[in-house]
Amino acid sequence: MNLDFSQIVPYIPFILEGIGATLKFVSISIVMGFVLGTLLALCKITKLPFLKGFAVFYTSMFRGTPLILQLMIIYFAVPQLTGYDITAFLSAVLAFGLNSAAYISEIIRGGIQAVDRGQTEAAEALGVPYKPMMLNIILPQAFKNILPAMMNEFITLTKESALVSTIGYLDLMRRAQVVGSDIYRSFEPLIFVALIYWVMVYLLTVAGSLVERRLRQSD
Amino acid sequence: MIKADKITKVFGKNTVLEEISTTVHQGEVVTVIGPSGSGKSTFLRCLNLLEVPTSGEIFMNNNEITSSKVNKLEIRKNIGMVFQHFHLFPHMTVLENVIYAPQKVKGLDKSTAVESAKKLLAKVGLTDKEDSYPNHLSGGQKQRVAIARALAMEPEIMLFDEPTSALDPEMVKEVLDVIKDLAKTGITMVIVTHEMNFAKEVADRVLFLDQGKLVEEGKPTDFFQNPQSSRAKDFLDKVL
Ligand SMILES: Nc1ncnc2c1ncn2[C@@H]1O[C@H](COP(=O)(O)OP(=O)(O)OP(=O)(O)O)[C@@H](O)[C@H]1O
Ligand SMILES: [Mg+2]
Repeated sequence: MNLDFSQIVPYIPFILEGIGATLKFVSISIVMGFVLGTLLALCKITKLPFLKGFAVFYTSMFRGTPLILQLMIIYFAVPQLTGYDITAFLSAVLAFGLNSAAYISEIIRGGIQAVDRGQTEAAEALGVPYKPMMLNIILPQAFKNILPAMMNEFITLTKESALVSTIGYLDLMRRAQVVGSDIYRSFEPLIFVALIYWVMVYLLTVAGSLVERRLRQSD
Repeated sequence: MIKADKITKVFGKNTVLEEISTTVHQGEVVTVIGPSGSGKSTFLRCLNLLEVPTSGEIFMNNNEITSSKVNKLEIRKNIGMVFQHFHLFPHMTVLENVIYAPQKVKGLDKSTAVESAKKLLAKVGLTDKEDSYPNHLSGGQKQRVAIARALAMEPEIMLFDEPTSALDPEMVKEVLDVIKDLAKTGITMVIVTHEMNFAKEVADRVLFLDQGKLVEEGKPTDFFQNPQSSRAKDFLDKVL
């Protein structure tokens, strides 16, 4: 065995900047996935056939093809078709945001449908309109039930984010590769970023259980 | 005043209500009894349009509410409903449950809503529970909160669907007492119940449903002592 971590020391600031680069697009993707996913879930439970059909089609398309392919299509096809020179960052946000919206919409749909039908009826009987009923009564209960599944999705997203290294976005993963080829050693930088991913996911898990505990207050 | 004119409700091939006509006058307390599956809940749910009758009309103060032009939410503001299984909002405290609709639906400001909610909670004997969550309450307490929540909208009419059927026996009385008190205030009420003594005591009029038909109606003393139809006789023989 011939491990030498001292060689990566000069590169540590460069690698650590990757945390910011990764977190930046992951967090925007998560917010985008969450908002779009909620809207898609609402489309799926409406009686309007067009909205429902669209949401179902959307989900099946994004779940039925590889994420890396979606990323490539956005990154390479958009400039070819529209002449707009899309950045790696924007491609990453779009691919991950649109993709996780599909998964999140399924989670949220399940969560909404698991809320007792009586809750809707109680709200309707009080004359509460659809929007406040969803926002104040149904969704808070749905989110509470699906929090574990949601945390899972965020964790998956954080890990899968390494795929953006394939389009040259300088995230953690890509930086490990850059350093590796600079010092002709791959193992040390890879181990180093593995540790960083692991800590990020761990913190996400902890944050998840804190939120969960807070939501369990009413039990 | 609420008037049902020949309302019929069909689910698939199943005719659950058949041409039911009756008028509940201002301040009247009507109890609805009948065997399981006779359509009592469906009838009650038609009155606040949780179910839309397949045919027939419902009038509230002489305005037809079954017309498709009518905004159901507007109608329901004036009709409170209490469910067998309470359906309190579990993520809100007792006080939040009671002030939610007055704030959101009627646009009351928070302090006004809180003030009247506190009065209502005092009325149903739950002043000390206003900051509790529903899951920490007994069934009887939950149902009293649900009554306060419905009353907070100051409805003209209150509908109760078997308000004590999901309760342990020792809690039935506390809920029935609240409803009896309410009956004395002159609010119009329609109550589906399996509690025959209560139905007799509280009602101005009793409706007896069987297989989706309004088989018999009358003053409680007449109905319970001297039912006219054989179906009502059979039913009373079984439950009394
Ligand atoms: N949404 C629905 N879809 C299909 N059938 C229904 C629906 N709601 C009620 N029914 C049927 O209508 C009939 C009457 O039901 P309803 O709940 O009104 O009876 P009920 O008199 O309230 O009975 P219980 O005393 O058991 O509460 C039943 O046969 C029931 O299965
Ligand atoms: Mg019923």
